[in-house]
Amino acid sequence: MRTRIKEFRAKYNLTQEDLARKVGVRRETILFLEKGKYNPSLKLAHDVAKALKTTIEELFIF
Amino acid sequence: MKKYNKKARVTAIVIISLFVIVSGAMFSLNSFIIGDIAGAVGGAFIAITILAFAIFTFIRGMRDIKGGFPLKDERSNKVLEMASSRAFFVSLYILLAIGFLSDDIIKFEDVSQATGIAVGIMAILFAGFWAYYNRKEL
Repeated sequence: MRTRIKEFRAKYNLTQEDLARKVGVRRETILFLEKGKYNPSLKLAHDVAKALKTTIEELFIF
Repeated sequence: MKKYNKKARVTAIVIISLFVIVSGAMFSLNSFIIGDIAGAVGGAFIAITILAFAIFTFIRGMRDIKGGFPLKDERSNKVLEMASSRAFFVSLYILLAIGFLSDDIIKFEDVSQATGIAVGIMAILFAGFWAYYNRKEL
């Protein structure tokens, strides 16, 4: 799985810490999500997409 | 999770770890007094391993609390779940092996020594599996 989290983070000038705080997860979770090394639950995927003002389909590439 | 709940959780982890460390140190000291060098080294090793893990957990926990991050989330729960289940199943086999070999190859002083070693092995296995799954793709 690939993600565009880093790209969207850069768009909104957010650090991994900022995004983690917004979503309410640990920083490592964002790091692993960005690397495509963690398959999130539907709720987490939705929360990350919402925090980055996009959709799950735009953010996660399966 | 409220901030004081997080602090209470980290403090509880540290207190429980301290109990285990003190038990390991006492076991090590007792083994040394009765001349069991292997038991003394084993006990000291377990106490030091758990001490290192407790210090790591405490520093990490306090850093996360100060940074405004949660102590656990769905990924950390998944890592914990996988590490504990694997450590449990592997330790079952190790306990079986200890029981099988205890009459011929491994000589234990008493049941409490065998139990202490088994618990120590479980703790080390858990720490190892946690470190492994924390880096692995989940």
